[in-house]
Amino acid sequence: MTQRSEDNTGLIESFRLTLDGEDHAVPIAAGETLLQAALAASIDAPHSCTEGRCGTCMSWLRNGKVSMASTRALSPRNIERGYVLACQSRPSSSAPIWLDFDLWKALLNER
Amino acid sequence: MLIGKIDSIWRYPVKGMRGEEVPHIYTAYTGLMGDRIYGVVAADGDPGHPWHTGRDQEEFVLYKASYESSEELLLPDNLDATYSEWEPGIDPLYPDADAFKVKVETPSGVTYDDIEGPDFVADLEKLTGRSLRIHTTQRGIFDARPLSIFSLSAAAKLGEEIGMSVDKRRFRANFYVEWDNQDDPFYENSLIGKTLKIGEWLEVAIVERDPRCTMITLDPDTAEATPRLLQHLGRNHAGDAGVFAAVLQRGRVNKGDPILLK
Repeated sequence: MTQRSEDNTGLIESFRLTLDGEDHAVPIAAGETLLQAALAASIDAPHSCTEGRCGTCMSWLRNGKVSMASTRALSPRNIERGYVLACQSRPSSSAPIWLDFDLWKALLNER
Repeated sequence: MLIGKIDSIWRYPVKGMRGEEVPHIYTAYTGLMGDRIYGVVAADGDPGHPWHTGRDQEEFVLYKASYESSEELLLPDNLDATYSEWEPGIDPLYPDADAFKVKVETPSGVTYDDIEGPDFVADLEKLTGRSLRIHTTQRGIFDARPLSIFSLSAAAKLGEEIGMSVDKRRFRANFYVEWDNQDDPFYENSLIGKTLKIGEWLEVAIVERDPRCTMITLDPDTAEATPRLLQHLGRNHAGDAGVFAAVLQRGRVNKGDPILLK
């Protein structure tokens, strides 16, 4: 689901974000990361360094495509799981995005 | 003023691998003797952080690294003599490089007698698909500061906050401490900018809070990930847990040593 692309402006106007079991429709402006958009919408999305180092904003891209400036905090296993770093992710296609911070659901699927 | 005591002392012979508890240790400006002496460098690693760790291979935290000359690497032979040499003492003589030889046991039970031998890296490369090499230095390899401190009360409180038992070893500190202060589980955060005397010799300045990464999500016994611990820190504790210290006065530290606020 992850693609590297610089042409990511204005591909979608909003995306679905799940956090603590609640769904949100998050408006996203051209050039914004998914995390920036979530914070602008006053959603308490987990984050810390915002530079792709710590992995606090790691989340599950359940639908859509993003390009990430850095995947440094993602292990190969987490990339396989479809995890992304919200602070590094920008939409890279017009496909609807669903970003889920409730990672336990992804881990549950593996059991 | 007495504010607590050293609960346990830990060093990590190989950056990212399981640590070992020691009864006492010499702590230099460059950190604990024998701490993070080896690191595994990935050719495709980030230029600013080329180390292969549990961030790249979760089970890496289960690898057990131990020194063949473990006892020899606790206190330099001439340490006592150096205390009386000029203020604040001179660097003691560390053992020669061969004393730092490390053996590694993998989670599957394979033991490599020498991490620098060709087999360990070759097998790890096969397992991970990465081009790797061993880097070594007697003065330690640290992401931020060479000395980290974390309290038992912080581990307990974080566990309470997220509703699970939080093993202190997730935080890979050098000194786990027990504070006398029972009111603030994160008492170490209030010590930023303060100087502590630990035991008879060591003096440290608490310089900053310790920003955390995915390493703390890994169970130290199973490597199973619990991302919500890191998410919780990000949402409620600015992403930090524990503190970093800078050493002002070198010296020996013992398990149980008192911690005084200067």
